[in-house]
Amino acid sequence: MNIKLLYQLSVRNIFRYKRRNIMLFAAIAVAVAGVSSMNTLIRGFQADMLDSALSNLTGHIKVHAPGYRDDPSIERGFLLEDGFQPNIPADKLLGWAPRIRVPAVIMSERETRGVQLVGVKPEAELISFLADVPIDGEGLSGTQDGRILIGAELARQLETKVGRRLVMITQGADGLNRERGFRIAGIYDAQGTGLEKVYVFTGLARLQQMLNSEAVTEVSVRLKAEPQKTSVKQLLSRTFVNLEVMDWQELEPQAAAMYLFADGAIYIWFILMMSALTFGLVNTLVATVMERVRELGMLRALGMRNRMVISQVVLESTIIMSVGVVVGLLGGYLIYLSMSDGIDLSSFSAGVEMAGMSTHLQPVFLVDDFVLVASMSLVLGFLASIYPAWRAVKIKPLDAMRR
Amino acid sequence: MRIKFCFILFTWPMLLSLVGSASANDLDAPLDIVALVTKAIDQTRGLSSYAEMSMLIQRPEWSRSSTLNAWTRGREESLIRFTAPARDVGNALLKQGPKMWTFNPKINRSIRLPNSMMSQSWAGSDFSYNDLSRSDKYLRHYELIHVSTQEVENHKIYTIDAIPFEDAPVVWGKEQMLIRDDFVLTELTYYDQDLVPLKQMKSLQIGELDGRMMATILRMVDLESPDQYTEIRYHKMDFDVELEDRLFTVFSLQSGRTR
Repeated sequence: MNIKLLYQLSVRNIFRYKRRNIMLFAAIAVAVAGVSSMNTLIRGFQADMLDSALSNLTGHIKVHAPGYRDDPSIERGFLLEDGFQPNIPADKLLGWAPRIRVPAVIMSERETRGVQLVGVKPEAELISFLADVPIDGEGLSGTQDGRILIGAELARQLETKVGRRLVMITQGADGLNRERGFRIAGIYDAQGTGLEKVYVFTGLARLQQMLNSEAVTEVSVRLKAEPQKTSVKQLLSRTFVNLEVMDWQELEPQAAAMYLFADGAIYIWFILMMSALTFGLVNTLVATVMERVRELGMLRALGMRNRMVISQVVLESTIIMSVGVVVGLLGGYLIYLSMSDGIDLSSFSAGVEMAGMSTHLQPVFLVDDFVLVASMSLVLGFLASIYPAWRAVKIKPLDAMRR
Repeated sequence: MRIKFCFILFTWPMLLSLVGSASANDLDAPLDIVALVTKAIDQTRGLSSYAEMSMLIQRPEWSRSSTLNAWTRGREESLIRFTAPARDVGNALLKQGPKMWTFNPKINRSIRLPNSMMSQSWAGSDFSYNDLSRSDKYLRHYELIHVSTQEVENHKIYTIDAIPFEDAPVVWGKEQMLIRDDFVLTELTYYDQDLVPLKQMKSLQIGELDGRMMATILRMVDLESPDQYTEIRYHKMDFDVELEDRLFTVFSLQSGRTR
């Protein structure tokens, strides 16, 4: 088979119908650019969602006592030895934090609300959203700090401010209620009001004193990268034999589902845009074949094999597709670069925050996604050429010559 | 008492600055504030008591009046039961130490009140469950400060600020009590933490019931909307009555007995 001949035939053919083919290149390029730049946005959304799911006091892996998740109380806590360190290799561990998290009622002079009271070791909370949020007033100084940090939305609902006292009621280790006044050290402003309404932070040791317990209710571990989760989870379940060791996908099934959905969305976008395009491509190729009936008939009469005819049409389609894809990917990358500072969604902040996203969407460029778009486009180009090639083969030399 | 110490300990220039606050106290021998507050609380309770009273809830659009009976024993036990109007008859509230239950005959259930509901309104009035359960909390959670003494109609009236301790389970910035020298609490004001008054309970009429001086008409006003208030009038009061133990049980709460 003479590849060079086929190539020559295809390229000449493409140049013969300049206007039509330029339109086709443009259509492919625009579609590919659209799909590939959209992919960077979807990946950005996905990364953002993973980050907020992990920072939402979850971490990659969390350890609870059995039963805590059904009945969160200090009675379902567990003891950590003094100077406990999880046996996770340093190249995988980003940080870990012990916490107490119990439901509580918080009261101001005017209002009463239900919240989650969280006892933290402030220096360990670099792994959660607490490290990133702006705080009006002061942060907690240590585990012995008996003041509280509350969210801006909660402060608004309770009509209170920094330096005021609030009363909290929660259940102690003996099952009896404990109530105490807490002074507000600071008010944090998290993204969205969901977290702000729920979490109230205080020093871990002081909360243990109040609850009359030495236990913690959870240990949260944040890793340097998502794929290390499985091995570390096994490692931890050997350390905490009688406890529940769960990863974020088990703890936050909704976020995990959204994460998977974003993966799927990439394919959905691709199929939507490219399948529309494919019909255009099929149409163009059929038209070129039909315009060349005499020429193809002549070639057949001169002894060109069916296989060669098919290869010629397929090659032509592939060349058109590859040129379009290369231009399109370049365009997609340029669009990504122009957005690389992130997109400000704050004008839609109410809706966006409700969906648990940040108001700043930062696109993420993954080479894999571009390779995927390119290879899937080429496959489509190949599939699109099958029908025109079949039409070309069906031309009978005798009929063609008589026209 | 604190001020007396100051006289002894501090030198003359310091004393000058204290004269202003000390002069109010000069009227009187050192005042035992704790005893005063304790007695004021016990004044309306006795060892045990039985009361018949009426309650008027006044709102801008409507008002409602009802009558109720109340039994108390010591500082920790009490039972309140509605006797009118017909649709409220049998509604009751039981307090046993820190625990409270409500009973509603329509659903025939008694409900243990969670602590989170203690600051909410009782029976739609301006009183919260906390106001009803006021027992020894002033002695445990507050620093009591004698602010001033006034002389009104042959009575000394002591103004006492109750300031909650740092970690006390009290949301108020302070509470200010006016107590007459015959242990009648004439006024109680709740301040928020900016020291803006929010709620005020005032004695509108003081009289003698069963041998004790007490406020016979009390009015609780929400100072943020002054056209709303709740007024309680005592009609009959028996102190130191024989009460059976079983009166202050959940069973008795549900039985609906009135005596």
